[in-house]
Amino acid sequence: MANNINYTSGAKPVWCPGCGDYGVFAGLNSALTQLGIDKEKVLIVSGIGCSSAMPHVFSTYGIHSLHGRLIPVATGAKLANDDLTVIGVGGDGDGYGIGVGHLIHAARRNVDMTYIVIDNQIYGLTTGQASPTSLLGAKTKSTPLGSIETPENPVGVALAAGASYVARGFAGDPVHLAGLIKEGILHKGFAIIDVLSNCVTFNNLNTGDWYKQRVYKIEEGYDPTDMSKAVEKALEAERSNWSKIPIGLFYKKERPTYSEQDITLKKGPLVNQPDPTKQQVLEALDDLR
Amino acid sequence: MASVSVRIAGANGDGIESSGALLIEAAAKNGLHVFGYRGYQSIVGGGHVWYQVRIGDSDLHSHGRGIDILVALNQDAILHQKNSLNNNSIVIYDPSKVNVDALDTSKSRAVKLPMLDIAMEVSGNPIIRNVVAIGAVLKFIGMDIGEFDEIIKTRFGKKGDKVVDGNIQAAARGYNYEGVETACKLSGDGKHRYVLDGNVALSYGAYAAGCKFYAAYPMTPASGIMTWFASNESKGVFFKQAEDEISAINMTIGASVAGVRAMCGTSGGGFSLMVEALGLSGMLEAPIVVVNSQRTGPSTGFPTKTEQADLLFAMHASQGEFPRIVVAPSSVKESFRIGAEALNLAERYQVPVIILMDQYLSECVDSVEQFDLDKVSIDRGKIVKASNGTGKFKRYELTGDGISPRAFPGTKGLEHIAPSDEHNEYGELMSDMLAGLDESIEMRKKMHEKRMKKIDTMLKNETVFVPKVINEGAEYFFVTFGSTTGSAIEATEILKGKGRSFGVVSFEYIMPLDKERTLKLLEGKKLIDVEANYTRQLAQVIKQSTGIEIKDSILRYDGEAFTGDEIAERALLLTN
Repeated sequence: MANNINYTSGAKPVWCPGCGDYGVFAGLNSALTQLGIDKEKVLIVSGIGCSSAMPHVFSTYGIHSLHGRLIPVATGAKLANDDLTVIGVGGDGDGYGIGVGHLIHAARRNVDMTYIVIDNQIYGLTTGQASPTSLLGAKTKSTPLGSIETPENPVGVALAAGASYVARGFAGDPVHLAGLIKEGILHKGFAIIDVLSNCVTFNNLNTGDWYKQRVYKIEEGYDPTDMSKAVEKALEAERSNWSKIPIGLFYKKERPTYSEQDITLKKGPLVNQPDPTKQQVLEALDDLR
Repeated sequence: MASVSVRIAGANGDGIESSGALLIEAAAKNGLHVFGYRGYQSIVGGGHVWYQVRIGDSDLHSHGRGIDILVALNQDAILHQKNSLNNNSIVIYDPSKVNVDALDTSKSRAVKLPMLDIAMEVSGNPIIRNVVAIGAVLKFIGMDIGEFDEIIKTRFGKKGDKVVDGNIQAAARGYNYEGVETACKLSGDGKHRYVLDGNVALSYGAYAAGCKFYAAYPMTPASGIMTWFASNESKGVFFKQAEDEISAINMTIGASVAGVRAMCGTSGGGFSLMVEALGLSGMLEAPIVVVNSQRTGPSTGFPTKTEQADLLFAMHASQGEFPRIVVAPSSVKESFRIGAEALNLAERYQVPVIILMDQYLSECVDSVEQFDLDKVSIDRGKIVKASNGTGKFKRYELTGDGISPRAFPGTKGLEHIAPSDEHNEYGELMSDMLAGLDESIEMRKKMHEKRMKKIDTMLKNETVFVPKVINEGAEYFFVTFGSTTGSAIEATEILKGKGRSFGVVSFEYIMPLDKERTLKLLEGKKLIDVEANYTRQLAQVIKQSTGIEIKDSILRYDGEAFTGDEIAERALLLTN
């Protein structure tokens, strides 16, 4: 459903020309436009990094939080007001490095939010150090002789942790990405979308062309409800020595969200629930007599 | 004033805590004042644990020094507790388990009570031996056994008549055992009191003031707050156990920005993890309440023991400058009031409020006649509920009092970003493309001044940022904060009995501090600093704020709480 809401703020983006972040901006804007969600009900939460300027190019509500902490901030906001559409946008350093602990628990918890990770395999804002997804041998400012740490497999981590919607997109294909984001927002539960992205300034290895030659869309007929297949798919990039990188929906499972199961949140958004009356407090205090 | 300190001591797993709770309930139902304090260690089974229950006929401020009646459930109880026995004390022991040869008979009288045999006879359940002992204690302090039967019926009714009968018989056999006779008679006033610890009082206060959201990671001694919120979700509050304290405080900030009253809690170690986000709350001007229940540090320290050594840390934690409020409740009753008021202050000034509890205050049980619910109000500060249609919303508007209007996500037309980076009035970034350019230099200065101005505003509008003086006109004053206030008050009463005139200056709201009014209150008084740390942290704050240097100190940093007697004795040495 197309609509005439303008979700963008008109703020000039801070990203370098050619940065993958523009593709994510376009993909998210397109997804919101297709869904037509009321602007005031959208809350975009970011961490710190180039990716985290994302709330500022939108005209919705936003929180630009701390490095690695967008998940708990977004979680708190969603638990407080279930009427909001909460979208987290961060980078690979933010979400797979300093904040990876939160990712595991967000996946288990199944809070109904969408988490977009712009994964460019480098720390860009700090001018080019190795990130958790930098490939073995990647030469960066912090690994001048090449990285000797095995890269993290974020899709695999999300699957193992119990995320109920796991997808990977490519910043160079914003139309495809918009579809994944849209489905992620519609999915009731924790949706993570790892977005392969290029850093034109600090990552000379994983360039836009490098990705273009390697990514392919997960074939028609793939069953995203089959966890074993999803795990196979998640391992494909590593196993093919990065010659074949699948993008698309890896896994999706309908299961109750956190708010649907909590006895307080089941009653409706916390923010709308009444304060206790004096009589209710007195009755509560009777537990102590 | 008369009081008796009863200590039930044995091994972890002996049912010490439930025995203490039974005794407390029995005394409170009789209209007596009670104060309970558990001694325990950071292990799940074994170890030597005790529960001290002080019972009195008027207000009690601490668990009291020493033991008047010891229930020794094992040999360790004699070994570890014998030095704490007061003169004319009574030791109740089971001759089949405990040998009392080591007792100083000039101080203590040992009373045989075959608890285990009686327990097995009446119920076949060895744990009932504690109830036999409680029965004996009730006799020693001159209480009626009839009311105790009712308590047993209420408490164990669900377990069936057999269990109830076993317990009633066990208590009666202890009460009537040969050699068990009334040693003192405490008279209750018949009033029913709430019996609760500081953590529970704080939780109730926050609940009464509309706190909807509590997030925490388990950490002694703050976990009692978590337990309260987790078990009271049916009352319309929400509790989230987080994966760590970093997550707990960040969730709390997210909930606050989304529009609910939100609080998180921990002890010093977890507070250390929360430090970065404390600054986030300052920068977003997102009101939150953070409870730090202090325990003995540094590092893991004594997880189950008390200290007041996080004061300067709480006042200065996180990089940069931002306004905050630090408040240390002085009693269980005040924990309720401050649990409520902290939320108002946080929202009125859009700042983080740190409530400094300590292990003693968090976990000691006090009897409180009534909480002043009429004084609990909910003031959510400057909130804009609808757009007036005049362009972009200035969430961080430069205002005269430093407080800008808040709007919650979901409100049409007031969309904005709450950013951790420095920003302009709309919440737009100045940190990337504008940093260092003229317009951002100017705005940074104004925005920082706007935030900091809130300190002046709160000092101007609130009357609470001065210490409380108890017994104005006294010759000497104990200067203290937090739970130590209670023991200091008790010390003044003991000293009064010795003909000495002492008062207390108790700092509850420590930051910000109204320097002029505080100076006026302290000037010309003879002051003795009493605090549970090594570096005299409160005295440092006082010197920095008022210039007054307090020479004499009574300090403790061995993990144990002060008692009134101890402060009184040390004060006599300092002032004689």
